[in-house]
Amino acid sequence: MKKGENILQGRDVAVGYRQGKAIRWVVKNLSFSLQSAKLTCLLGPNGVGKSTLIKAIMGQNLPVKGEISYKGKPIGQLSPRDMARNVSVVLTDRISPGNLTVRQLVALGRIPFTSWLGSMSPEDEQAVQKALDATHIGYIENRKVSEISDGQLQKTMIARALAQDGKLIILDEPTAHLDLVNRLEIMQLLRDIAHTQQKAILVVTHDLDIAVETADEFWLMPCGGPVVIGRPEDLILSGAINQLLPDGKLQFSPTTGKVQAIMAEETIPVDGPEEVAQWLRMALRKQNMLPSNALRLSVTKDPVSFLIYRKETKEQFYTIEETLNALQLE
Amino acid sequence: MTNNSNRIRIYTLGGVALLLVLFLINISVGSIAIPLHEILAGLTGAALSKRSWEIILFDYRIPKALTAILAGLALSISGLQMQTFFRNPLAGPYVLGISSGAGLGVAVLLLGGSAVGWNLMGGSFIGIWGTILAASTGAMLVLILMSLTAWKVKDSMTLLIIGLMFGSATGAIISLLSYFGGAEELKLFTVWSMGSLGGVSKEQLWVFFMVCVIGIFPVILFVKSYNAMLLGERYAESMGVNLYQLRWAMILSTGMLAGSATAFCGPVAFIGIAVPHLARMVFQTGDHRVLFPASALIGASFLLLCDSISQLPGTTETLPINVITSLFGAPLVIWLILKRNFSRDF
Repeated sequence: MKKGENILQGRDVAVGYRQGKAIRWVVKNLSFSLQSAKLTCLLGPNGVGKSTLIKAIMGQNLPVKGEISYKGKPIGQLSPRDMARNVSVVLTDRISPGNLTVRQLVALGRIPFTSWLGSMSPEDEQAVQKALDATHIGYIENRKVSEISDGQLQKTMIARALAQDGKLIILDEPTAHLDLVNRLEIMQLLRDIAHTQQKAILVVTHDLDIAVETADEFWLMPCGGPVVIGRPEDLILSGAINQLLPDGKLQFSPTTGKVQAIMAEETIPVDGPEEVAQWLRMALRKQNMLPSNALRLSVTKDPVSFLIYRKETKEQFYTIEETLNALQLE
Repeated sequence: MTNNSNRIRIYTLGGVALLLVLFLINISVGSIAIPLHEILAGLTGAALSKRSWEIILFDYRIPKALTAILAGLALSISGLQMQTFFRNPLAGPYVLGISSGAGLGVAVLLLGGSAVGWNLMGGSFIGIWGTILAASTGAMLVLILMSLTAWKVKDSMTLLIIGLMFGSATGAIISLLSYFGGAEELKLFTVWSMGSLGGVSKEQLWVFFMVCVIGIFPVILFVKSYNAMLLGERYAESMGVNLYQLRWAMILSTGMLAGSATAFCGPVAFIGIAVPHLARMVFQTGDHRVLFPASALIGASFLLLCDSISQLPGTTETLPINVITSLFGAPLVIWLILKRNFSRDF
């Protein structure tokens, strides 16, 4: 993979919004850069200023200190049309253009390029077709937007942003309200697009698990703390990723790659194949079962079974529920 | 946009044909029966067999039919602009308070004088031009107020609610004026508020026509922006649409179109809100390059039809135009709401 070029750069950026006459600064002292061919995920709790930051990047009229520049040009100097040709977005706003077909909606992305009447040139048609192909929605191009599923609609909106053909695409929680399969599919789609079409893609998301699996870079915005930028894998190993989680309650486990409740590590030891043993251990932790000298547990994989060894006896069970019941009788 | 371009072509041709037929029907009905072949002959330039028929046809019926066409398209195009701009299927010229503003102007002229003891209508020197001037002034005043608010308020929904409040406030002032107004003036005002297409002279028709042409100009200029607005303000902005310019274009265009239509014909109800929905339904598209001409066609045809019905063919009676548009328009809007989910309609 070749190294991406810098698309967007921010130096000592602070963004705020006006409250009457005063300005409330939400984001402070932030330096960042977005590179092409990279999927960047912006993570942080609600109210930490993620939306404010992306609004500033989109060039909306907000009080901004420092400098945000697009390909070396301060974004304040770009005309709305130039901005539109370079930066496209997928927002959380509910849309309801039920009378448009999928293809027509994607074609709206060409508005910054077409003449005042909006007639499509062959290049415009080509860009639309390319966007439909990249998002794999060519098969529904003639369906009405009101007739497609939420996942398909989200892909359509991504295709529209692609058709706008800028180097930078910003998506605000594109996977909210979608089921797990669609969430994974959308994020993987975005990474593929970033890599194959050399786009810089910035995704605001709450979906830590999926972001870890798909993103090339993380921007973490913890409450109160400074922004942490790095490769997700590095942030996991350094433990920096835990800044996103409330203290003492949850942690990101480097072993499983999942957010987990911090539970008593100590529990009754379990032997046997790990893929079975870990689930029994999880169940034991949930029940707060402490180790005891008189007890040993083991599991087998084929068939799945659970064995309780006491001083002299050995019992075998085939579900965790039965095993726990037997243990709790004591 | 290619898959239903045939449908659009056929429906547009059909719409133009329908408009011509309705125009013919409209000028053939009235309290005096004129044979159809005489009318056709008259239209091709031949002299009619009776001088009185000629006066009726050229000085009364044709200007009235042309007024119906202009008012129909003006109100429909205003309605479509407002519905798309405010992202609200129930928006229309009534909602921004433009029609009520015009009503207030006329009410002040007709009723205000008698309320404080003057008799402005004593001489007929004010006449129709006075009414038109008053209506335009009222519409423009509300429009200026709305524009100032639009300049302050960024949110379209809020603007819409403020428009509704302006409408209510002007309605209250009209009620107040009616309460204190003289019986004679009250009747004049009531007749005006029922709407009439017949009171527009040839010279006034020219003025109406010119205002419509100027009013449609911003629509043509911003048609692409209206398509972008289908996705809402923030998406439109991200596609380079200048919301500030678009808002002013919408206000000016709607003000001129709906304001002049109300001034010349009185507040004609339901055209502005119902016709854009009909256009979307018939033409099955959200593309404003199709929807604007489609709304204009359907609006003009709809008002011609309503006017023909209001002549009560076969009798010498004529009903106020507003009675007919409301009688057909209200059930139409209810039917549209019931038939399809409005929120999916855009």
